[in-house]
Amino acid sequence: MRIGVMVCHCGNNIAATVDVEAVAAAAREFPDVVFATDHMYACSDPGQKSIEQVITDMKLDGVVVASCSPRMHEATFRRAVERAGLNRYMFEMANIREHVAWISLDRRRNTEKATDLVRMAVEKLRHNRPLTAKSFDVQKRVLIVGGGVAGVQAALDCADGGLDVVLVERKQAIGGIMSKLDKTFPTIDCSVCVLGPKMVDVGQHPRITLHTLSEVEEVSGYVGNFEVTVRKKTPYVDWTKCTGCGACLEKCPSKKVPDSFNENVSFCTAINIPFPQAIPKRAAIDPAHCRQFTKGKCGVCQKVCPADAIDYTMQDEVVTEKVGAIIAATGLDLFDHTKCGEYGGGRYPDVITSLAYERMLSASGPTAGHIKRPSDGKEPKTVVFISCVGSRDRSLDRPYCSNFCCMYTAKQAILTRDHIPDSKAYVFYMDIRANGKGYEEFVRRAQEEYAVEYVRGRVAQVYPQAGPDGPQLLVRGADTLLGTQVEIAADLVVLAVGVEASKGAGSLAEKLRISYDHYGFFLEGHPKLKPVETNTAGVYLAGCCQAPKDIPSSVAQASAAAGKVLSLLSKDKLESDPQIAMVTGNRCIGCGKCERTCPFGAIRMREMRDGSQRAEVVETVCQGCGICSVTCPVRAIQLQHFTDSQLLAEVNALCRTWDETSE
Amino acid sequence: MASDRIEALKAAMAAELGKVDFVLGYARGFDPLHATPVTVRTEKDLAKLIFDPTCVQNLATSLYGLRGKRLGVVVKGCDSRSVIQLVQEGLWERENLVIFGLPCNGVLDLAKVRVKADITSVRSVVFEGEGPDGLENRTVRLLLPGGEKLLPLRDVLADKCLRCRYPNPLIHDHMIGEELEPQGAEDTYADVAAFEKLSTQERFDFWKRQMSRCIRCYACRNACPLCVCKHVCLADSREPHWLSAEATLQEKWLFQVMHALHLAGRCTECGECQRSCPMGIPILLLKRKMNKELKEIFGYEAGVSTEAVPPLHTFLMEEDKIKDRGLLW
Repeated sequence: MRIGVMVCHCGNNIAATVDVEAVAAAAREFPDVVFATDHMYACSDPGQKSIEQVITDMKLDGVVVASCSPRMHEATFRRAVERAGLNRYMFEMANIREHVAWISLDRRRNTEKATDLVRMAVEKLRHNRPLTAKSFDVQKRVLIVGGGVAGVQAALDCADGGLDVVLVERKQAIGGIMSKLDKTFPTIDCSVCVLGPKMVDVGQHPRITLHTLSEVEEVSGYVGNFEVTVRKKTPYVDWTKCTGCGACLEKCPSKKVPDSFNENVSFCTAINIPFPQAIPKRAAIDPAHCRQFTKGKCGVCQKVCPADAIDYTMQDEVVTEKVGAIIAATGLDLFDHTKCGEYGGGRYPDVITSLAYERMLSASGPTAGHIKRPSDGKEPKTVVFISCVGSRDRSLDRPYCSNFCCMYTAKQAILTRDHIPDSKAYVFYMDIRANGKGYEEFVRRAQEEYAVEYVRGRVAQVYPQAGPDGPQLLVRGADTLLGTQVEIAADLVVLAVGVEASKGAGSLAEKLRISYDHYGFFLEGHPKLKPVETNTAGVYLAGCCQAPKDIPSSVAQASAAAGKVLSLLSKDKLESDPQIAMVTGNRCIGCGKCERTCPFGAIRMREMRDGSQRAEVVETVCQGCGICSVTCPVRAIQLQHFTDSQLLAEVNALCRTWDETSE
Repeated sequence: MASDRIEALKAAMAAELGKVDFVLGYARGFDPLHATPVTVRTEKDLAKLIFDPTCVQNLATSLYGLRGKRLGVVVKGCDSRSVIQLVQEGLWERENLVIFGLPCNGVLDLAKVRVKADITSVRSVVFEGEGPDGLENRTVRLLLPGGEKLLPLRDVLADKCLRCRYPNPLIHDHMIGEELEPQGAEDTYADVAAFEKLSTQERFDFWKRQMSRCIRCYACRNACPLCVCKHVCLADSREPHWLSAEATLQEKWLFQVMHALHLAGRCTECGECQRSCPMGIPILLLKRKMNKELKEIFGYEAGVSTEAVPPLHTFLMEEDKIKDRGLLW
């Protein structure tokens, strides 16, 4: 074999602390190395040209470049060797920048380590084999999980781009949290008025298939060819007949069902359409409260339905969808305010969450837009907002900032002063995080124009006391700017609850085979350079399932994810990565352990002609994680480009240099 | 009583003979202290059968090489766990196996006998005081050229028998004889814990000393009922080339580490590897260490249920006792 080595200066990045000429000189002595040199910038155009030139001139079979991390330029150099006629896997990279030059100033020892790394790369390369990618057909359809604003936006962008879209929503109607909001910051425009048209578009778009009341049950397959089973829970109403007229809602005798759309502030009927603008505007029965199901007789809705759509015998339906890509947009859940006993969350009726307050502000909400305190229905004159409830709190295992509570608290304080001009609004805050466009100005408006009293400090306790006009809540806290205690007699306390990952996010992540963090938020491929991708090819993220974010950021990420999907599925065929597991048939003993450990279901057992079993890798499904390889007792499964022999060659090269230096 | 049991075994086996290719059992070996495996094909062969504390071999070791046949096999409690493990891993089909289970309260460790008596020409061996009431009054009477020698059975039993928790076969078609009380309720791994108390250097020196004696005969591998890759063992493989033919300490040691790792979560501690080692290297200790870890981390014990899912043969996103999250934050 004829190997060429190029050691990069990377300007001064490497050359300042590594003697690159000495590394190149040492490399010339390594087995099979016929050429070694150094270069100022190997990744530059002249650098790549000289690599190509050397391959032709010296008739090289493989190239080692000692420079930066393969995450930076491996693809660049692979293309360069390919242009010169070599297989792109006949190339190895030794990282002497991040792993050597940047971590130590000791030039002598850096040079030694760089030489060791080059020796390992050369030994690995000596065991490399040319690998070729295979191409396969893709499904030009996309599955979007979650019908909040992110899911809606992604669905519209993908559908407008020419893809068929399958939108799966767990609830009865799409719209998510945004459809529950009254107004949005910083413009105070009506939330459902801006979201509504998009929801209507989703409902009417010929390319969008909408599955509401549905959940993803199983995901198999791989990028370009996922197969997803979706369970459509039965609404007990035939939605092909239902017109959404609402006659059943009026007559339903079971009227004391907590209305989850209104944050359980009010009641709804057992057969219900959650809100006037709901898409799809179809009724669904909640069997936990419907008398037909709990008592076995009623049938009122069936009698009154003019379309004859009610069917109590309907069953769940399971549909299978074939898609090429998946966007997870599962959104968020709110922190459970009853965990904050010191604020009286869940104990005192007049301590409510910000979203319940938002429903109260909404004209279509339980109080038709009038602020009434839950205990006695009176209009509150003093409203206290407490920020960071379940955010930035290590004791609750919620150390992160929920991103938008500062802003919606300012909005709600403004709306409070707007709805009840003679009211007082107080906001207890830790810091104000208003770093979006127009956000800081918005908070200033709350403070200056609307005279909202901002108190910097934490609330220690909220407890009931008798006030001049009936019972009140005493909010006791600290004002850390004045260094004093404050006590405010409030009529209503609103807790600005933080964001939590959506319930069930973890199990969805496992179905999608993507990672999630300790709090259940899905992990992006790279925090800076791959904020929309996941580490599973073909699965993308949008909205709060990745991290708490406000509406503009969710929409932006949704469009970004749609862009990613459109560019992925713009190709008719995709190339599979050849760095996957491969079975050496005559070594396999058919024990099937690889099949059981494979997290991707990429291994199946095949019966041979003599009746024995052999493992077989489904090339397009394999992600190249290597778990099968370490499980296989016989090492019959080898990860291509990372075979035992290649890794052993590297280890042996390293250990040999240790032996030499220690003697 | 011992003769009753043999008669019962013969009767059970006679009834099965027509339905299997043959049955693996024990016969008397070249002297009264040794048993040898025997294949019983006809009723005539039944006369050869024996069962007593000299029946040290784990007959399950032969099973994997005989796949495709329909066999009978005689197992002790410990051996039955190897059978369970083979069935669980899909390496033997349960329906092609007729298991004759014999409750056992211990087999000899000939290395221990050898220390106490010259056994090159034993004329007869009598086990006295057999019964379900523990080991206290049981003895071995050896008739040697120089006279009789009486040894308390406890002193010459294999270590695994002294902490035996499964004297009764856990899987069987025929149970021959009465079930026995286990020696201990739980394996405390006291031997491993004591070894772990030594310093790193002491442990390193210990293994260096032990492994340097290895002659790479692979008797340990061949005696292991679960070492099923025999014809494609990594120790003999050129591609990948894990081990070279050099007789260095590293190569010997690496082989033993590999053996232990390949048995992690599978080893049933039948002790055949150590028993078969001609150099007397205590390699079972390595395997017991792995099992101790498995028990602590996954609460798992191999060879107890054919339905169990071994923790190292599955993939879970989260393990209760392994904290791999939080590294990023």
